Amino acid sequence: MVYLLDPSNWEWLITGRNARFILEGFLVNVQLALIAMVFSLIFGLGLALLRLSKWRAVVVVTGLWIDLWRNLPLILVILYFAIAMPESWRDAYSSAAPGFLPDVLQRGRVFAALLALVLYNSAVLAEIMRAGIQSLDRGQGEAATALGLTYAQRMRLVILPQGLRRMVPATISQLITLNKDTTLVSIIGIQEVMRQGRILTSNNFFGGVQAPLLHVLLFIGALFIVTNLLLSRLSRRLEIREQQRTGTTLEPVRGLEDQVRTVQAN
Amino acid sequence: MSALLDVLTENLDEFGGGLWVTLRLVLGAFVIAIVVGTMVAALRIAPSVWLRRLGGIYVESFRNIPLLVLLTMAYAGLRRAGVPIDQWTAGIGALGLYTAAYVAEVLRSGVFAVSKGQIEASLSLGFGYAETLRRIVLPQAFRTVIPPLGSIVIAMIKNSAIIGVSLIALNDVLKSARLVQAETFKTEEAFLWAAVGYLLLTVTATVGFRFLERRLAISR
Repeated sequence: MVYLLDPSNWEWLITGRNARFILEGFLVNVQLALIAMVFSLIFGLGLALLRLSKWRAVVVVTGLWIDLWRNLPLILVILYFAIAMPESWRDAYSSAAPGFLPDVLQRGRVFAALLALVLYNSAVLAEIMRAGIQSLDRGQGEAATALGLTYAQRMRLVILPQGLRRMVPATISQLITLNKDTTLVSIIGIQEVMRQGRILTSNNFFGGVQAPLLHVLLFIGALFIVTNLLLSRLSRRLEIREQQRTGTTLEPVRGLEDQVRTVQAN
Repeated sequence: MSALLDVLTENLDEFGGGLWVTLRLVLGAFVIAIVVGTMVAALRIAPSVWLRRLGGIYVESFRNIPLLVLLTMAYAGLRRAGVPIDQWTAGIGALGLYTAAYVAEVLRSGVFAVSKGQIEASLSLGFGYAETLRRIVLPQAFRTVIPPLGSIVIAMIKNSAIIGVSLIALNDVLKSARLVQAETFKTEEAFLWAAVGYLLLTVTATVGFRFLERRLAISR
């Protein structure tokens, strides 16, 4: 405790550009998380809709695909793509990556990380979205059909607005997990916050003050706690706003366990 | 197909050893997660505001810090600080304490699912706070939380792959696969068998928890 709180061990934080150096690394994580989030949400919704398709073969194949990626350890997938991804894919990524991204994120191996993050998270999100859609009363879809709406109209106007609202809490907690998982890309050599932290502690970097590893890691951890708490606050805000607007308490889809149980109960 | 099997049979020692290491890591972390998670859940529902806050701080910190950061703290961080911790303790401890935060949250919601009448009945029978918790509330809470506990354990098995990556001496399933890959250059085969190893563990956990659920289910 004395060691942790000793002010001389925290001196690195205010010397030179040390704090800025860590924050720059953290910005890479945040951007990586944002890109992966956008693609995971889009592909997750697509997978969820396919999973609820009326063709049995599509349902089975999508189900297998989702279960495959959901059940593998993410780090295994990241490492596999980092080793096995063909050179041409990486080159295609680096030439296609938009110029506003930082240089670190334009490197070819980022594609391996992004692909793994999106495959894993879109599978998890697809199951959450499916649960949200399936938790709706069947009458909603039937009424929409009876009113003569097409499949696309039914989804866009009736099913998705209600179903997606119910899955906000579960989706946000998955996005928090995604945010934390971006640190795993340090293992395949992408220069993000963990690597910046290691550089800072490995020698007398800016300012000439040796930064103790434990303290640097605590600072990095605090950055994650703050961003993740902001995300969960956002989730609660959305819930409360929804309650005030509709005057009803939302019955959120918390996790897949709830879904399993209701299915068994029926 | 036989090439695929050959990679397994020729490196059976590596893969088997990896499975054994992962199994020990997971079992150790599970014990810590349940013990610490129960204590934190007890804090979260304690009658004192300060104790509840303490539990809240534990949950929010361990749930929101990436596991890789915790693992690096637990081994490299503590070593640099002069604490002679070994890699097993660091790996099991970090994974266990991380998972404990999730266990605590699930247990807390399970405790709230126990009806208030049970607690009132127990208190009126003369049981103290600790005894009510231990004899009346927790046994019932544990039962209702078995399905979500199962998915936490499965997530923990998958998360254990991060230990082998960040701590050098622990050759778990993923690390063994990487060693085999580096030796034989059979990338697809090595990673496929690692995936099978993890699936073996997660499927066993799923079946085990489903069995527990059926055995202990309370009909309401």
